Amino acid sequence: MKADLNNFPQLNKTKFENRGKEFRLGIPVINAVTVGNSIAVGFGDGTVRIFSSGKSSKPIKAHKGIVLCMAKDGDHILTGGDDGRFLRISLDGNINEISNFGTRWIDHVTSKNGSVVCTSGNIVYLWMPNKKEPKLLEHDSTIGGVAFDSKGRKLAVSRYGGVTLWKKDYSNKWTSSDLIWKGSHNKVIFSPDDRYLVTSMQENQLHFWRLKDKIDSVMSGYGAKVKSFAFVGDSKYLATSGANVAVCWPFDGDGPVGREPICLPYVGKQLVTFVESFPNENAILTGLSDGSVYLSEIEKANNTIIIRSFTEFEVSAIAVTDDCSHLLIGDMGGNILWTSIWDEEKN
Amino acid sequence: MQETNKQVPVTVLTGFLGAGKTTLLNRILTEQHGKKYAVIVNEFGEQGIDNDLVVDADEEVFEMNNGCICCTVRGDLIRILSGLMKRADKLDAIIVETTGLADPAPVAQTFFVDQDVADRTKLDAIVTVADAVHLSSQLTDHHEAEEQIAFADVVLLNKIDLVDENGLEVVKQRIKKINPFAKIINTTKCGVPLNEVLNLDAFSLKRVLEVEPDFLTSDHDHEHDDDVTSLSFVSDTPLDMEKFQDWFTKLLQTKGQDILRTKGILDFTGESDRYVFQGVHMLMDASPMGKWPEGKERSSRLVFIGRNLETMNLKEGFENCKSA
Repeated sequence: MKADLNNFPQLNKTKFENRGKEFRLGIPVINAVTVGNSIAVGFGDGTVRIFSSGKSSKPIKAHKGIVLCMAKDGDHILTGGDDGRFLRISLDGNINEISNFGTRWIDHVTSKNGSVVCTSGNIVYLWMPNKKEPKLLEHDSTIGGVAFDSKGRKLAVSRYGGVTLWKKDYSNKWTSSDLIWKGSHNKVIFSPDDRYLVTSMQENQLHFWRLKDKIDSVMSGYGAKVKSFAFVGDSKYLATSGANVAVCWPFDGDGPVGREPICLPYVGKQLVTFVESFPNENAILTGLSDGSVYLSEIEKANNTIIIRSFTEFEVSAIAVTDDCSHLLIGDMGGNILWTSIWDEEKN
Repeated sequence: MQETNKQVPVTVLTGFLGAGKTTLLNRILTEQHGKKYAVIVNEFGEQGIDNDLVVDADEEVFEMNNGCICCTVRGDLIRILSGLMKRADKLDAIIVETTGLADPAPVAQTFFVDQDVADRTKLDAIVTVADAVHLSSQLTDHHEAEEQIAFADVVLLNKIDLVDENGLEVVKQRIKKINPFAKIINTTKCGVPLNEVLNLDAFSLKRVLEVEPDFLTSDHDHEHDDDVTSLSFVSDTPLDMEKFQDWFTKLLQTKGQDILRTKGILDFTGESDRYVFQGVHMLMDASPMGKWPEGKERSSRLVFIGRNLETMNLKEGFENCKSA
């Protein structure tokens, strides 16, 4: 499964395209999340489709305008739209409206251990398990991103000027502390071991905090905004988009301060627009602005294979099923590839 | 990366409360049949807006550090425009209505500094609706009113039926003193052909070549030191590119807060192309724009709109750029 980096069969279909299913839907793909061995995809016309092995996917009319955000919630998905609706949708397409905010957009959704969250403007709406009414956590500026830690006891809320870190004590009371860094912070994630918090910024850079001692630093040098980033494997690396290489920062030991990232190059020098970790491996799936997608081992750059050839539209979603049997690629032109990863698997 | 996504034009409507922004907005929406518009508004409730796609914004201004330049942008616009551009149905245009007291600079700067916004949308024009009766006092009392005139590509001078001829002339002179570039359109109830406010492409460099500034012939005394005024310079002697860049870069870096808008067409020694630029505060868009028209004199023209311009030694700075 090795390929010569300088001699890709660009115009030919890859073996994944040949054996997978391609959908040319013409509707921008906004996001995709894995729920078990299915993958839910949100589109720019407000629909959601569920892709599973051996099943056909029908559009679920979820939102009026567009599916702005999506997250896994147990065996369901949560979606938020520009129609102000916050929804929980089952894999067979049953829609349950959790809340409706009218003309206000739902910008972010997430969940952990039965707690569900959506944000609209500068307010986090947090529904604790089995509670009908949400708790409101207000912030000074519009929320750029929201994330739970692995235990669901901390909630990071990125915003202008840094991150508000909410902590739940054992009486279920939430208190906050601030992690400050000038500028506007967008997407936020915890590292899988909860030691680090990483945000992408309006500027072409990322920021991280080491939570035990609040040491923080900038990861910069990008030519474009970093819109996609993901921890790989056991948080050894943080893979990032925003350059014409996949930039992978080392997060083992004391973290990336004073260390160089590994940069994985791709043919054609296109901008990396999407990165996703490949489960259980030190490897990443990288989507580029021309629609092509590669699988690379981080520490062995020449172990790169092409998954999808170009479509001319930037890759906006990549997801792998939990059993690691299938993957899905979506782009802004509405092209989807759903394929088995291993030769013997069925689609 | 794909060019198939045409840039959607964005028209910004500014003006004080009660000047007639919503009247104009509703006229655009009802008269442009068959077009799909998104309207981004900040003031709910005053008058209903008759459109399917109305987005509620919160006018959040934040600072952004873009390399060595620090500027303010509208964070909510970045978020909303990026969201709108992901829609399956394509929009014909987007209209942003600002609050009465909004400074247009962060709106304009958003289109300069955010790459996603710049890739998929373009600032078409800033249209300022002004109340012919109250503009003079608003200009005296509120610096935001001056900024809204200073940034305007079009000033819709509304409610002219409520002032006499002399009063109208006074207010027009006041507008021209601040902004000689703006096209002033007299209206009652915002009755204006829509092609005079939409699809103007006013921020393109090509348009800089076409618009002849309407300068006042006589100098008017300032009432306050921080009044917004304009200054222009012309030279038939070609300029030295290096000297000009040195002077102009330093000028914008140090005085960019006070310089609201700049425009210019420059004739550099040894260059066969016209060099055109336009800027908002410290941000600039510049490019060679083809050869000088044959048979016409080559000359450099430079216009500043801003505060405290007389303290910046602009004349001397410009003179020093002339090739020896």
